[in-house]
Amino acid sequence: MKKNINKIITFLFLIVMAAAFIGPMLFTALSSFKNNVEIFDSPFGLPAKFLYENYKVAWVEANMGTYFINSIFISVMTIVLLIVTASMVAYVLSRFTFKFNRAISLFFLLGMMIPMHSVLVPVAYIIGMFNLKNNLMALILIYVAFSLPFSIMVLTTFMRGIDASLEEAAIIDGAGYFQIYWRIMLPMSVPAISTISIFNFLGAWNNVLFPLLFINDNKLKPISLGLLNFNGERGSEYGPLMAAIIITVCIPLIIYLLFQEKVEGGLAAGAVKG
Amino acid sequence: MRTLKKTKDKTKLFLFLAPALIIYVVFMIIPMLGAVYFSLVEWNGIKGAALEFVGLKNYITAFNNPNFILSLKNMMRMVFFSVLFHTPIALLLAVAINNRYKGYRVFKAIFFVPTVFPLTAVGLLWYFIFMPNGSMNAMLTSLGLDNLATAWLINPSTAMNTIIFVNIWVGIGYYMVILLAGLTTIPNEVYEAAALDGVNGVTKLFYITIPMLKPIISMCILMDIIGTVKVFELIFVMTEGGPNGLTNLPTTLMYYEAFRYDNYGLGSAIGIIILLIALILTVGGQRLLQGNRKEV
Repeated sequence: MKKNINKIITFLFLIVMAAAFIGPMLFTALSSFKNNVEIFDSPFGLPAKFLYENYKVAWVEANMGTYFINSIFISVMTIVLLIVTASMVAYVLSRFTFKFNRAISLFFLLGMMIPMHSVLVPVAYIIGMFNLKNNLMALILIYVAFSLPFSIMVLTTFMRGIDASLEEAAIIDGAGYFQIYWRIMLPMSVPAISTISIFNFLGAWNNVLFPLLFINDNKLKPISLGLLNFNGERGSEYGPLMAAIIITVCIPLIIYLLFQEKVEGGLAAGAVKG
Repeated sequence: MRTLKKTKDKTKLFLFLAPALIIYVVFMIIPMLGAVYFSLVEWNGIKGAALEFVGLKNYITAFNNPNFILSLKNMMRMVFFSVLFHTPIALLLAVAINNRYKGYRVFKAIFFVPTVFPLTAVGLLWYFIFMPNGSMNAMLTSLGLDNLATAWLINPSTAMNTIIFVNIWVGIGYYMVILLAGLTTIPNEVYEAAALDGVNGVTKLFYITIPMLKPIISMCILMDIIGTVKVFELIFVMTEGGPNGLTNLPTTLMYYEAFRYDNYGLGSAIGIIILLIALILTVGGQRLLQGNRKEV
């Protein structure tokens, strides 16, 4: 009996908390199908008529579609470049002893301590000096630079754990370093690589600090910045704005639902990085 | 592990390191050194304008600036309330979910999902809820609590607390997931033995779960403190540091000083102070955690 009461209390607690989490999200989702009048007159009700046009307005007229594509491009390019560069370093650090092995590891590790805010002014200076304003490649390289420390750490640890016997067989067959890296180490590291990819895809998708500094061309803005842009320019069109918020969060949501464990694992591991 | 001997090998393997090293040095290490340099000069941000070396003047200006002191106080207040609410609520949720109710995965997803959303979107979402004519006030009115309704983000006495609330809301799921992982490491036998002794419910929580999770709980608190120091987007989106600069944190003040008022030197100095705070908390906190672990 007492056990049952405990169970019921726990369950009620979960329900109440879930309401506190779903409520705001649901409010936004519902509002994205309403017009201004309805949003203010019946904030919690279902829309009388679902205004799918809000999404069209957000996607086309407010450029959310362009921002969305930009963010896909930026995030994908970031993880491709990141995985290639980080895995090459991890391969060398995990497989060879040489004079500077430890020094290089520590040098990269150092980067985990640096908050983005601390380097904004010099980054803006460099951007100005080399005319990199509105240059997506520069943005991508900055993301890669900030993601390298964590990714190298994870990949090096993972690669250290890979059994060396496959490689030895490959060496006997006359494989060079690049072949070993490309055909053995990289495929064997897929679990670690996928964690890093998901984690950093979300990181690039969600970042607004660097784009804020040097992307002002509407055709090049990533989605988080585009959302702010939309709010700044037409902040009173609430329905389309709510639709824009939903468009912005849909990719992280889908990624989470598809790769729950990887996302949770990546975030927990990334905690050290913060 | 193989040892590198031949020179040919060394050059080859250096090519593996080079791309990452170049990107890392150019876009992270040089800017970091640059930040230190910029914090020691005065510069108005105009391309080609002279950079005048002023030593520690920017740091002195920062600590004599009431806005900066206020931002530090805001930061401490935010850290205090984050620590007070994040881990305890997250722990309760983790313990509740760990009972494996039907659909516990759904509960977990509900609490965790805001963590993966862009903070700009989360900030806007709550901005609309806390608007003067937003749904928070509508809800209060419909509950007959009209006198509680206020312009949450504009009223000086509620603005900071409102942001602190949103920051707590968005982070709970994150700590919950970490604590959930911790809970799975507690062997079931411990609970079974306790149940035989008649230990149940709240007692179980305080005498078994919390002591056994102590290392992970301390880690969550440490991560919370370090993470809160870096909060930026929520404030940037919801109040822009307003009303009247009352809701600034060092991070937002740094941004506004440098990029809105063109005080690049002062902005950089605040940036370096943020770095030092984060560094001291990270290193100091890890020392404490490791010290704790050795004692056990």
